[in-house]
Amino acid sequence: MQGHVIINKLSKTYHTKHRKGLFKSEEKLVEALKNISLEIKPGEIFGLLGPNGAGKTTLIKCLTTLLLPTSGEATINGFRLTKDDNAIRASTGCMLMGERGLYWKLTGRENLVFFGALYHLSSKDRVTRANQIIERLHLGDIADRAVESYSSGQRMKLAFAKALINDAPLLILDEPTNTLDVPSARELRAVVRELNAEGKTVIYTTHIMSEAETLCNRVAIVDRGEVLALGTVDELKASMGKEEVIRIEGVISSKAASAVELLVGVKRSASAAVNGHQQLTVVVDDQRLLLPRLIESLTTHNAIIQKITPEEMTLEDVFIARTGRTLAEDTRVK
Amino acid sequence: MIGKPSLSQNFSAAVAETRLRLINISRYPGQLVMEIIIPIIFASMPMLLGRATAGDSASANFAANTGTSNYVAFLLIGSNVFTLVSNAFWHIAHWLRFEQETGTLESIYLTPTPSIVIASGVAFYSIMRGLISASLAYLIGCLVFQVNPLQGDVLLAMLFIFFGLLPLYGMAMLFGATVLKVKESNALIQLMQWGISFLMGIFYPITVLPPLVRVVSYLFPPTWMINGVRSSLLGVGFFFGQWYFDMAVLWAFMLAAPLFGYWVFTRVESNVKRNEGMGEF
Repeated sequence: MQGHVIINKLSKTYHTKHRKGLFKSEEKLVEALKNISLEIKPGEIFGLLGPNGAGKTTLIKCLTTLLLPTSGEATINGFRLTKDDNAIRASTGCMLMGERGLYWKLTGRENLVFFGALYHLSSKDRVTRANQIIERLHLGDIADRAVESYSSGQRMKLAFAKALINDAPLLILDEPTNTLDVPSARELRAVVRELNAEGKTVIYTTHIMSEAETLCNRVAIVDRGEVLALGTVDELKASMGKEEVIRIEGVISSKAASAVELLVGVKRSASAAVNGHQQLTVVVDDQRLLLPRLIESLTTHNAIIQKITPEEMTLEDVFIARTGRTLAEDTRVK
Repeated sequence: MIGKPSLSQNFSAAVAETRLRLINISRYPGQLVMEIIIPIIFASMPMLLGRATAGDSASANFAANTGTSNYVAFLLIGSNVFTLVSNAFWHIAHWLRFEQETGTLESIYLTPTPSIVIASGVAFYSIMRGLISASLAYLIGCLVFQVNPLQGDVLLAMLFIFFGLLPLYGMAMLFGATVLKVKESNALIQLMQWGISFLMGIFYPITVLPPLVRVVSYLFPPTWMINGVRSSLLGVGFFFGQWYFDMAVLWAFMLAAPLFGYWVFTRVESNVKRNEGMGEF
């Protein structure tokens, strides 16, 4: 069925070489995906949310036939992975690797027409389709300039345009708003919504939780190659029960952060650098009860609190509650 | 339309790939000019060395060892066939590596066009570019050194080039597979192009090579191509006496090399997909 993706116990293990000096190396096995099972329904925007290195891109690469899974199976648009790879590629529009994957010496229009040919559109159709996309994404002013003269954001937009050239029922977008400024990212998300309203299924990977919250019908939280949680944004938040969140910004030593973890009523905490500040996110049972003790503990451990806010539970907090880490962390296996 | 692409769809995709390469190179006009000048300079060096060491008897000495006194055309043919060989390796193997580094290889592999179709488009572009620049370099070189470029059987020489190019691109495909896995394109291409150039005798007949090395040189299609062209134009002598026997060897290469190259390439391709993926560099 068009736009329908069923993933059943998909695993991917890499062999990586670790250098041990000039001539020595040691082979290691890295489990990038561990028995992933998902169903993406036709017509939905499905978010894959997780930090860098969670396995989102590996999953996408398996689904787009760039990588062979080690085990498991998947059906994409009614075609079986590894059996009908050509049909899967023909019926899927992909944006991977961000602004890479374009021919920089060619103009934007030439790039689109070329990829149209590789998707087997007729000479006339590929020109017509390229023109339609250029108009839809407001690329007219730059379409006939060499891609090398584009800004990073313009290249991202063109890479997104390339994913639309075959007018596929399934769109797979891997971090499409990376390097885009805020208005451009908003514009891109609006186009994704329009495309979805026209009937396209969208798989959208991101590590920006607000994107997933505003855009996706359902979200899978992925970490270290596993699906930790799956559901609508509201379902995921509700799964946290009565838990609440307190966010603290300032100068917070690891000792102070560790002390917070030991307070009764603290479920989990995770710290990350945000805009030059240390941000500590604490998942608690009851904000009002815990707030005074939290401030006391931090100040006792010489933390400088610049801002402290009890907040609504977000997807990122769900992630923190499940993993004890923030989405900003890079969890790639080194 | 979803399913196995038709022949005409694949042909159209290959033409698009050729067109893409042509548009791309048209934005580097200096490179095209250099490609015509370099073989002439390349052939001039041994030519002038010969004149400096043998003086007026250069032609006679050369004829005694090679079967032709026209050493200018002999060397120009050598340097231009070298251009064709070099183009085949750089354009196929380096193309794969370059696309891998820029990320366009993954973009191509996301489409339903088979990799062999894309490679055919690249090979066709490479053949066109190589033939045009080698022909121009040969003609200009002959004009500069005042020898007749079109003596002998020109049509037969062209057939040797044509049938020599197909196995050459088969070898390049095999080599491309190595680059895809080993990821050391520049060093490998340099080694390969100079190794084969040494073996095929760009500036000398392979009869001057040590016997064992000569046996190895017979295993490479460019050796038969270069000797076929020289024999057709300059009458240096076919390896098997008659042109059709030498041509038959090229035909055998033509059948075996592309098939073997493709077979190895698809195996490496699936190995790479099973492990690090096409875009990993």
